[in-house]
Amino acid sequence: MITPAADRALPGGGSAALEVDHVSKSFGSTRALADVSFAVARGEIVGLLGPNGAGKSTTMKAILGLIHPDAGRIRVLGRDVLANPVATKLEIGYVPESPSVYEFLTGAEYLDFVADMYGLDPATRRERIQPFLDGLELAGHENSLISGYSQGMRQKVALISGLLHHPRLLVLDEPLNGLDPRSARVVKDLLRSRASGDGVGVLFSTHVLEIAQAICDRLVILDRGMVLATGTVDALRGRAGLAGSGLEEVFLALTGTGDLSDVVAALAR
Amino acid sequence: MDAHRVRRLAAVLVTSQLRSGRTTSDPRSFLGRPELIGVVDLVLVVAAAGLLAPAVLSSSWPTATFRAPVEALLPFLPLAAAGVVLIAGTMFELTTTAKFAGSDAANWMPIRPSEYVAASASAIAYSYSPAIALLFGGLLPVAYVEGLFPAYLLAAVLSLIALFEGAVLVEMVRAFSSRAGSVGSGRRGAATFVVRAVILILVILLLDLALNPVFLLGAVQRLSSFPVIAAAIPFFWSSRALAAWNAGDPLLAAAFSVGQVGFVALLGWWAALLRVRYWVPAPAEFEVGEHRYASSHPILAGLGLSRPETAIVSKDLKGYVRRRELLPLLVVPIVLVLLLAIEGGSFGLLGTIVWVGWVAGFFGLLLSSTSVGQERRALQLLFAFPISPRSIFRAKATAVLLPVLLGSALTSIAVSVFFHFPATAAFGTVVLTVSVGGILVLWGLVFASRYSDFQDRPRPQFVRPSAMIAASLSGLILLVTIVVPGAYALATPTSGALGFGLAAAGIALVAGTVAYLLARAGFDTLFRELPF
Repeated sequence: MITPAADRALPGGGSAALEVDHVSKSFGSTRALADVSFAVARGEIVGLLGPNGAGKSTTMKAILGLIHPDAGRIRVLGRDVLANPVATKLEIGYVPESPSVYEFLTGAEYLDFVADMYGLDPATRRERIQPFLDGLELAGHENSLISGYSQGMRQKVALISGLLHHPRLLVLDEPLNGLDPRSARVVKDLLRSRASGDGVGVLFSTHVLEIAQAICDRLVILDRGMVLATGTVDALRGRAGLAGSGLEEVFLALTGTGDLSDVVAALAR
Repeated sequence: MDAHRVRRLAAVLVTSQLRSGRTTSDPRSFLGRPELIGVVDLVLVVAAAGLLAPAVLSSSWPTATFRAPVEALLPFLPLAAAGVVLIAGTMFELTTTAKFAGSDAANWMPIRPSEYVAASASAIAYSYSPAIALLFGGLLPVAYVEGLFPAYLLAAVLSLIALFEGAVLVEMVRAFSSRAGSVGSGRRGAATFVVRAVILILVILLLDLALNPVFLLGAVQRLSSFPVIAAAIPFFWSSRALAAWNAGDPLLAAAFSVGQVGFVALLGWWAALLRVRYWVPAPAEFEVGEHRYASSHPILAGLGLSRPETAIVSKDLKGYVRRRELLPLLVVPIVLVLLLAIEGGSFGLLGTIVWVGWVAGFFGLLLSSTSVGQERRALQLLFAFPISPRSIFRAKATAVLLPVLLGSALTSIAVSVFFHFPATAAFGTVVLTVSVGGILVLWGLVFASRYSDFQDRPRPQFVRPSAMIAASLSGLILLVTIVVPGAYALATPTSGALGFGLAAAGIALVAGTVAYLLARAGFDTLFRELPF
């Protein structure tokens, strides 16, 4: 297992977009996060992986300041997220796991609302929104109520609202859920471009390991609220002793669910 | 029709209703099982009967004194049972969020429309059965002693059928409202929302007025003078059956009873047809005009609100017109004002001012106490945006104050003109009504910021039921202490009454300040950490 402290040495020695430092959080008797530490450098895409209930969404909510850690600190661009929440949130683009967009607004009205929240002037929002609508094939639907949108269209609206204000840290909880292959490709390329071109730090959770393998610079694997391992895919392969294997085998080995043949045999009966 | 399938589905629907009211629910708990309602019915019947039995069976009971009133009451009971189920069930169905209404969990199953209607109507009737259990428990010893036991039994059976009748009518209203809710689907233009809102409000309004128990009782009494008309209206057949029984005509009673059963069966068949015809499985699609991406709310900005605050206010105001589950909230003051217009002649100046003040305050309390909970899971968005709790408080308060203050002012002016108030009383009524509306808005926000319910449920409750009761009771006390002395000072403009006016103003000032501070503190606490 890779020690979380090792994660503090950031690639390129750049300053961190995000530092999660020994964070713990419990809900009643349930321990959601236990001494979680990792960092995301500026311009880096970090994948947050883990089984259901591992603590990925809780970690992301804590980064936004939506929930308060019982212990530990979280800094975004060097700023304590709880000390100055409004200024910190201005720098973050967030896409929650199940985006609860306002269904009684149209897509355009919702994006206008989000632009207001981030203080974008009308000229800037016009200039930024239309390319997103065109690129994600939402143009022509923007004046319809979101209640009539498909899951993928809602996800696109949530993604645009997270990217609209050009944040310096992106916190994306399963952002490609429900997207068609073309839109997923657009988003993946856009994330790469924002990271490498604008130095945006990206924390990205997904259950699709191929996606993580394709676009993430490094991975953080969480299980039962603890960091099991961090590093590049190659480093994780080495640690798992599965050189040459796919990320799925590495992930299953690290989370202790490697041999599933008995489960499949039972289900096939 | 597969009876087993109907029974299983009905049990699931009742269970869903029982468990949807709790944040956490232990599935093993008896409190979440359908049998609970049957036990509650039994307990209510036994308790009510047991409570009255010693007095009724004692030798001091004035036998025969209550025979006539009970005889007069029994024909009304089936009608009341149907009315109660219809009104409560309608409000339940019309406040169902579009998300749940549009994705009925049973739609994909191999269930016939008639089976669904039978199951759903049975579940609704069963759920509301405690409403009549208490009454029939209390009547049992009285009917027994007065020699009205057979009539009592007939009334009980017909009331059970009436419960089902009301529930089937709810299914029909649901189909109609589903159709009304999709009015304008696929059309363009903001006016579509207004048309849709007006149609839905009219549907609720007509039901609220037409099935008001007071009006129903009046109708029964009036129609008793015109038996031919009453006999032609199937809704009154239960009442006619009981009246015939009381008049010693069991054959006619049996005919009307059988007719009533047949009528309910016919309604059920019709409801199944309506479900097939009007059910909208997918959410309606609405399109508004071209959006310009130019946040401009000059009026709101003129109130000193920041850009994010005006955006929240604008969003909430749109929600009042567009969200189906919020429309019943807007209907309440309209119904109350219409009742005033119908019955107001007998209220006098004092009573009319009190009534208008009460409507404004109640509307303010209702709208504000639900204003935070209506965010539901989207509350998470407000947490994630770069906006402070104080800003959210200002925005939420403004979003409720605007319609309440405007509505209060317009209503009080209209009432003053309609009832020819003197100029001073008219001006004072406007001031009093607007003030009370504003204070109760702040009072509602005290509860909204502390006890909102953000769970995604088929039946949104916005604020926890116990908190809603506490808000209503405390709000009522506030209303009485401000409106009554204020209205008295306006209705009797003497130097002695001036003291009442000053007292009302003083109480209003203190209450408003306390409510403002408590509400603001509540928002500070709420937006510290996501509550779910």
